Amino acid sequence: MSVSDALSRRRLLAIGSAVGGGALLAACTSNEKKGDSGSGSQTVNNSQGDNTAPGKAVKIGFSAPAADHGWIAAITANATAQAGKYSEVTFVPVAAGKDVTEQRPAVESLISQKPDVIVMLPHDGAQMTSTGRKAMDAGIPVVNLDREFSDPLAYRLLIKGDNYGMGVAAGHYIGQKLKGKTNPVIAEIPGIDELQLTQDRSKGFRDALALYGLKVGPRIAARFTVASGQEVTANLLSGNPHIDAVWNHDDDQGVGVLQAMQQAGRKEFFMVGGAGSLDAMQHIKAGDTPLEATVTYSPTMASSAINLARLIAQGRKMSELAELQVPKLIILQSETITKDNVDQYMPLGFRS
Amino acid sequence: MTVLEKATPIPAGRREWSEPVKRNLGLVGVLIAILAVGAITRPDLFLDLDWLWRNELLILTQASAIGVITVGMTFVMIGGGIDLSVGALVALTSVWCTTVATQQFGSLGMIFTAVVVGVIAGSLNGVLIAYGRLVPFIATLAMLVAARGLAQMISGKLTQRVDVANQFINQLSFNKILGIPALVLIMLAVGVLGWILLNRTTFGRRTFAIGGNPEAARLAGINIRRHLVLLYALSGLCCGIAAIIVVSLSSAGAADHGDLYELDAIAAAIIGGTALSGGRGTIVGSLLGVVIFKGITNLFIVNNLEQEYQLIVKGAIIVAAVLIQQFRVSSLRRRTSG
Amino acid sequence: MRGTAAEVVLELQGIVKDFPGVRALDGVDLEVRAGEVHCLLGQNGAGKSTLIKVLSGAHRPDAGRIMWLGEEVSFARPQAAMRAGIATIYQELDLVEGLSVADNVFLGREPAGLGFVHRGRMREAARGVLTRLGHGEIPVDREVAKLPSAAKQIVSMARALSMDARLLIMDEPSAVLAHDEVANLFRVIRELTAQGIAVIYISHRLEEIRDIGDRVTVLKDGRTSAANLDAKGTPTRELVSKMTGRTIEYVFPPRPDHSPGAELLAVEGLSLAGEFHDVSLKVHAGEIVGIAGLVGSGRSELLETIYGARRAGAGTVRVAGQELRPGDVRAAVRQGLGMAPEERKSQALVLDDPVYRNITLATFGRFASAGFTSHGRERTAAVRIADELQVRPPGVERPVRTLSGGNQQKVVVGRWLLGGTRLLLLDEPTRGVDVGARAELYEVIRRLVADGVGILLVSSEVPEVLGLADRVLVMREGRLIHEAEASTLDEHTVLDMVMAGSLLETENAV
Repeated sequence: MSVSDALSRRRLLAIGSAVGGGALLAACTSNEKKGDSGSGSQTVNNSQGDNTAPGKAVKIGFSAPAADHGWIAAITANATAQAGKYSEVTFVPVAAGKDVTEQRPAVESLISQKPDVIVMLPHDGAQMTSTGRKAMDAGIPVVNLDREFSDPLAYRLLIKGDNYGMGVAAGHYIGQKLKGKTNPVIAEIPGIDELQLTQDRSKGFRDALALYGLKVGPRIAARFTVASGQEVTANLLSGNPHIDAVWNHDDDQGVGVLQAMQQAGRKEFFMVGGAGSLDAMQHIKAGDTPLEATVTYSPTMASSAINLARLIAQGRKMSELAELQVPKLIILQSETITKDNVDQYMPLGFRS
Repeated sequence: MTVLEKATPIPAGRREWSEPVKRNLGLVGVLIAILAVGAITRPDLFLDLDWLWRNELLILTQASAIGVITVGMTFVMIGGGIDLSVGALVALTSVWCTTVATQQFGSLGMIFTAVVVGVIAGSLNGVLIAYGRLVPFIATLAMLVAARGLAQMISGKLTQRVDVANQFINQLSFNKILGIPALVLIMLAVGVLGWILLNRTTFGRRTFAIGGNPEAARLAGINIRRHLVLLYALSGLCCGIAAIIVVSLSSAGAADHGDLYELDAIAAAIIGGTALSGGRGTIVGSLLGVVIFKGITNLFIVNNLEQEYQLIVKGAIIVAAVLIQQFRVSSLRRRTSG
Repeated sequence: MRGTAAEVVLELQGIVKDFPGVRALDGVDLEVRAGEVHCLLGQNGAGKSTLIKVLSGAHRPDAGRIMWLGEEVSFARPQAAMRAGIATIYQELDLVEGLSVADNVFLGREPAGLGFVHRGRMREAARGVLTRLGHGEIPVDREVAKLPSAAKQIVSMARALSMDARLLIMDEPSAVLAHDEVANLFRVIRELTAQGIAVIYISHRLEEIRDIGDRVTVLKDGRTSAANLDAKGTPTRELVSKMTGRTIEYVFPPRPDHSPGAELLAVEGLSLAGEFHDVSLKVHAGEIVGIAGLVGSGRSELLETIYGARRAGAGTVRVAGQELRPGDVRAAVRQGLGMAPEERKSQALVLDDPVYRNITLATFGRFASAGFTSHGRERTAAVRIADELQVRPPGVERPVRTLSGGNQQKVVVGRWLLGGTRLLLLDEPTRGVDVGARAELYEVIRRLVADGVGILLVSSEVPEVLGLADRVLVMREGRLIHEAEASTLDEHTVLDMVMAGSLLETENAV
């Protein structure tokens, strides 16, 4: 009896401490900082013109992929924050899941709710074209974000970044700094190589460097993740004892890239980043790493998309344009952020 | 057939030791071959002994996380199971130990959290398999999906940087002891402890027995279920340790850490001679398998070659290793049966 | 069929088959006629299974002639026998569980054109064959796994029939069937024989042989001891006597002259659903209790339940007065129980591990200190045991896979010897063990008993039970039906009880 008593007491104790430990661990999942209001997302202030003046009430539907990547997380965060700035806007986000087959029914259910306008970042532009078309046919204007539909009739407005332009901007920055040097070693660390956007970025980079008579040297792809950035860079540095410049396509993986450089104690080169994360901008401002500049592919496009969607739904014009309607196509300029202008961009940096 | 019959008979009593040792010597041969290829393709680097030393330390550093995981995986596989959730558990533990809330407790708090979360998740695998009678493949596949999801939920898909205040974790990937990177020493320590546990303790004996013949082990009075839980908990523990290594290397926790680590670990164990059917395997072989993989990655990148080639080479090495293993086992059986 | 001189389809003359160390068949003669049910009778180990394998092309005989339809034949592979018209239906039916009935009937011979299976034609043909067997109701599209075992057997027969088999060999087909299903099976067999198909029927149940058989051939020690007896008219006494009185000498060590000690094992009212019911027995220290029974009588399940490898539905097991927790092997081992299971290779041995590790499998913890094993102490102990039991070839580092069956069994027994086991459960300890090694194993068992170990022994070989045991329990269809001192029983009587013959009843009547 006493043995089983002791046993059950021991069990109770074990269960008790397990529960306690579990509670403690569960508490450890929190990411709230004290005094941190949290969002880190960016909104656009139209300080001039009459576009900020409240208009009629509108309902804006929104759909973007559930992302495992800081950039897409920032897209959703930015759209949500921007919509929150207008009292007359009702924001209706729908979860778009992890692929086209989940996004399609989500958007269709959105269409049936008859919003005034839909802002959509598709998983795949071509595969979501018919769904965009369906919305347009139902009389709902669609703002197509970044990944382009294959049919122009499927959107009212297309806002996209410029992958080729990113490569060009990075190429120009590096080209100007290395101009006249003999056989400099220029390394490139792309993201996932199978993606068209990676190919576009690399082509822009090559084309721009060619203008200065320069060529890309070692080029090893990472996978947009911090860990892959670290591993690829560590090996790349080992294999190339002297490097003059590095272009890393993506500031997310850049965290690992910079860490590997630090671990190797290498700083004979300078580096250009890509996308424009807050982290990258802070390093540029501090000048504590080889990272000198980054070329933007900014998720602020989601904030702009919400703004323009509102104008489209209300039938208003853009105050800076003479035309009475919002234009059909906007391609964002890939901007180069350096120490000189970083303060200006800092509010637009996204948390990766 | 005739070739095999002509092969010299194995002297009684020598096989248990010589077979794994022979295989491991073969793996060392592969490593030497990798070095030789390096010396031919980049003589400027590989013949520079100073560079060579640093580069080999780099390979070992890059191997440290998967090396630790592979030690756990080797135990699970010798015990007749498989753990597909290791990569996801690295992600989950890395995220859990780098939340703002956890980081308040300092580096030790982070390490404690990673280890405890790893052990709990691993035990859950074990309980599902031992008491819920799920096939290991299914149970750990479910854990893979769920742990990745939980990691994404906790992190909000953002990269969680290690706070500057947590010096110990931050410095771990920079520290060296007697010229050897601390991360490499962690891997070696886990390897040595794993070797002792596997070859010198009753725990190891039970692992071999259960993987070799679960029914015989059960009828000999071994508590199979409890042991299975412990095996998967051990694998989870290794994931927690590996997460600390990954966090330190990349200075961050993220839900995409540990991507496909399960495949690397399983492949390394198989190259090292661990049988998918259980009952056979060595820690040394598994670690050599990891180092070979990372050595190939390094060799290709140092030659500024793209990944697609190294994937093909790695695939070929897995097939070759398994073919050699099957050939040896079947020839052994043929010689000794009847 | 009897009385008419039907055509002889199969004739075996002097078939011999040797295996290393054992002559399994030593001159078998057999004659089977078209349209008859020819029964094969014999004790376990008499050579029935080997004979079937020779007939079905799985083994090639070392000597003798097989005449099939008047020509001498030699089947290199099972497929060759099948093509010639000899189909075998094994106890473990060789059906693909995941495929449909029609798929199974035509497995490997699907009616096809240009590589495409004509599903319609195949289903049609399958339905036709099943109807011929009087079982048109079996749905041809049903997955075989979802059929009851009786229906599976019919599907297996349908496959044989679809291959135009002229001889059907059935190995204990009734073992997996319920009573009314057996009647149905017999109806099907009668329809087949009416169509001129010959059937070789193997069963241990004399009543079935009386019912369905036309003629009986009895095997003993790999030889035909009686051929072409009348299945209905031959007295039971004669059939049994043809099976018994083996010529192989069982060399049993002399029974020591000592009386059993204290009660070790007391089983009361033990039941396991579907396997055995309300079993009570006792084993004393220094006593061998033997259980005689056929495969499927529940004897192995009984042993496993006592050992805790299966959880009893009802009843208690006490070892030296201590009640064992049901379904807990470790508790049993702690109380000093050990078991040498029936399937040595799959249930007892880690085949690729060395001999010494197999000997210490249950005890390595005792040689460890603080969880650290001691290979040295383990090996020393294992070497002592291996020497004592004369495990050959010597060398405890040798993988146990490389040992003969008898020496493997010594390793398993040695494991419990090392563990200081008080009560040993032996399930078919000499299966697959040659004659010389058997004598050694008997010697070992006797020595254990002399040391005060109690033994519960299961064997299908009646002479073994009688020669070793002090007390004999007879088990049939999940029940203990008889208990007696071994000295008061003879092979005849026990075999008759085991086979559900009628010898006892007739003798009592006389």
